[in-house]
Amino acid sequence: MTEPRQGEIAARKEDTHPEARRQGREPLVPLVDIYENDEGIILLADMPGVSKDGLDIHVDKNTLTIRGAIAGIVPKDVKPLYAEFDGRGYQRVFTLGPDVDVNNIRAVMSGGVLKLVLPKTEAVKPRRIEVKAA
Amino acid sequence: MLSPWFALNDPMWKDFDRLRGELERLFDMGVPVGNIRGVARGTFPAVNVGETGDDVIIYVFAPGMDPGKIELTIEKNLLTVTADRDTEQELGSSPKPQRYHRRERFSGNFRRVINLPEGVDPNKVDAKYINGILVVTVGKRAEEKARKIEVAVG
Repeated sequence: MTEPRQGEIAARKEDTHPEARRQGREPLVPLVDIYENDEGIILLADMPGVSKDGLDIHVDKNTLTIRGAIAGIVPKDVKPLYAEFDGRGYQRVFTLGPDVDVNNIRAVMSGGVLKLVLPKTEAVKPRRIEVKAA
Repeated sequence: MLSPWFALNDPMWKDFDRLRGELERLFDMGVPVGNIRGVARGTFPAVNVGETGDDVIIYVFAPGMDPGKIELTIEKNLLTVTADRDTEQELGSSPKPQRYHRRERFSGNFRRVINLPEGVDPNKVDAKYINGILVVTVGKRAEEKARKIEVAVG
């Protein structure tokens, strides 16, 4: 799975406001692992602080958008002393190839990790061709 | 008349100087002062520390962990969090994929040592793992707690 156009455009938009991003106004880009086998593509995204309810995944034409809201972790009366992390949410966009069966994408959210299984359409799965003796 | 190579007020080098300044800000190397236990930017897991009147709360952003396997110890005012993360295990029980396109997430052993402010009580520690964030609450010693002072009308 490649992310040529949309992914690049998304990356360029993020980099035009490095200050805003550092101050937590723009969403963070979650780190991902992307694997592939004959059955489909598996995407694992680190989104600590996001629960199943805070997750928003949608596919529009061939664009997959993953969004996660961080909520309900820090009570209002906590005064920050030291912060390495200042995100309010996550967002990442990928383009999908035509071989992905978008109607059967499955998502599981657990322990701040999103697991997305993107199966391939039957037609494109590699098929063994039996060679018969002439 | 030869001008020195690195005359930084020479317009030709101005952009390099600006770039160097930007890179320094980016990598926090402009200021040569730091906590001896400090870590480089982007270390996994990220840590935030906050406080209320009664407690000091530490947030460790470590998704995908088995909370039972996180080692948490506190000694005086030093909190140590250490564990092993195996991201391939998070793929689940289905057959292992044949190839990967990206592997950005951290996998392996990590250890963070956090300096807590003076006045915490190491006997009052509570830890919860919520949506991939380890939330450690350390109570402040009784004499450190903020005291509300009543203003009497006299």
